[in-house]
Amino acid sequence: MKRWLLILIIFLFSLALYQPLWGQDEEEYPQEPIIFTKPVKAVIFDHKKHVEDAGLSCEDCHEDVFEMAAGTAEQNEDFNMKSLYEGKYCGTCHDGESAFASNKKCTTCHIGVLGWKRLQKKEEKKEGKHH
Amino acid sequence: MDLKKFGKWLQGLKNEGVEHVSLEERRAFLKIGLQVTGVFAGGTILSVVSKVDKVFGAAPEYVDKYPYKPHYSMVLITDRCVDCQLCMDACVRTNHVPHYGWRTRIFERRIVVGPNETMRQFMPVLCNHCNIPPCVRVCPTKATFKDKKTGIVRMNIKKCIGCKTCMVACPYNMRYFNEERRAVDKCDFCWESRLSKGEKLTACAAACPAGVRNFGDLSDPNSKVYKLVHDPERVIWVLRPETGARPNVFYTIDGIG
Repeated sequence: MKRWLLILIIFLFSLALYQPLWGQDEEEYPQEPIIFTKPVKAVIFDHKKHVEDAGLSCEDCHEDVFEMAAGTAEQNEDFNMKSLYEGKYCGTCHDGESAFASNKKCTTCHIGVLGWKRLQKKEEKKEGKHH
Repeated sequence: MDLKKFGKWLQGLKNEGVEHVSLEERRAFLKIGLQVTGVFAGGTILSVVSKVDKVFGAAPEYVDKYPYKPHYSMVLITDRCVDCQLCMDACVRTNHVPHYGWRTRIFERRIVVGPNETMRQFMPVLCNHCNIPPCVRVCPTKATFKDKKTGIVRMNIKKCIGCKTCMVACPYNMRYFNEERRAVDKCDFCWESRLSKGEKLTACAAACPAGVRNFGDLSDPNSKVYKLVHDPERVIWVLRPETGARPNVFYTIDGIG
C-alpha cells in the first residue's frame, strides 16, 4: 500500500514537472497576430509588440478595453475610427500621448487587402506543410 | 558628306579615351546633354536642369491652364490610403468590371524611414486622363478619344478593333481587354455610369472612407481639387512625368505618415 502511494506521488510530481508551475505566472499571449476585417480590410494587431516592446500586461486591455475572445469587438457597431478618436478601443492608448495618435500613421496597423491576402497565403503554406 | 561616308569617317577616328579630358570639358559636354534632354522632353515637365517645382505637376505652363469645362481631375492623398479596396469594389459594381480586369488598382510600397525601419504606403492608380494621352495618339481607329468638353479619355467600343496598342502606350497600365465586350475597357471617371446621369462624384471617390480620392472640376477655383493642387504648402506630384503626357490625376500627402 505504501509502495502504491509512493508511485502515485512520483507520478503526480512528474505531471507537475511536465506542466511547469512557474509558467502560470508568466504572461502568455497569442503568438499569431490578430487580424480585424471589419469595418475595413484589414487591421493587424500583434500581441508580441504590445507586450514585449510596449510592456503592457494582459489586464491593461483585457477585459475592459477588449474582450479576450478575438473577433468580439468587430461585432460592435461602434468599432470604427470615430470611436478610436473618442478614446475607445485602440484609442484608449493610441491618443497621441501614450502611443501614436489614431489619426496618424494609418498604415502601421492598416495592412490592407494586399497585406491580408499575403498573410492568408503564408498561413496556407504553413498548413500545407503540416499535412 | 552623306551618312554612309560620315559613318565610315566616324569609325575611322582614333579612340582618344577619356583619361585626358579635362573636368571643364566634361562639364561642358554634360551640360549640352542635359540641355538637349530638357528640350526633347518638352523642358517643362521633367528635365534634369530644371527646378524642382517643375519636376512635379506644378509647372506654371501646365497648372492653371485648364482647357476643359468642367476639367475633371482627381487628387489622391496617398498617405491616407489603407488599401481597404472599397473603391475597387465600388468600381467593379458600378462599371461591371470582370474579375480579370481593372479600372483602378492599389499598389503597395515600402519606404525606408530609418535604419531597419520601413513604412508601408499604398498608392491608388487609375487612368490619369492625360492632357496629351499617348493611348489616344496611337489608336488607329479613334476608338479612344479625349472628350472635347470634359477632357475625359473615353472609349467608343464600337470602333475598337482590339489591337491593344493603347494598352502598350498607356504609361500607367490602366487599360485591359474586356473579353465580353471585345473591346478595351478603362476608367472614364464614371462618365457613362454616373457623371452623365447627374452624379457629382465617381464611384470610387464616393466609396472612399478615408478621403483619399478627391474628385472635381480643376477649372473651378472653389473645388476641392483646385484648392489641393494650388495649395502652396503642399507638394503635388504626378506619376511618370517624364512621359510628357500631362496627367490630370495628382498625388499629394497629408503628412500623417
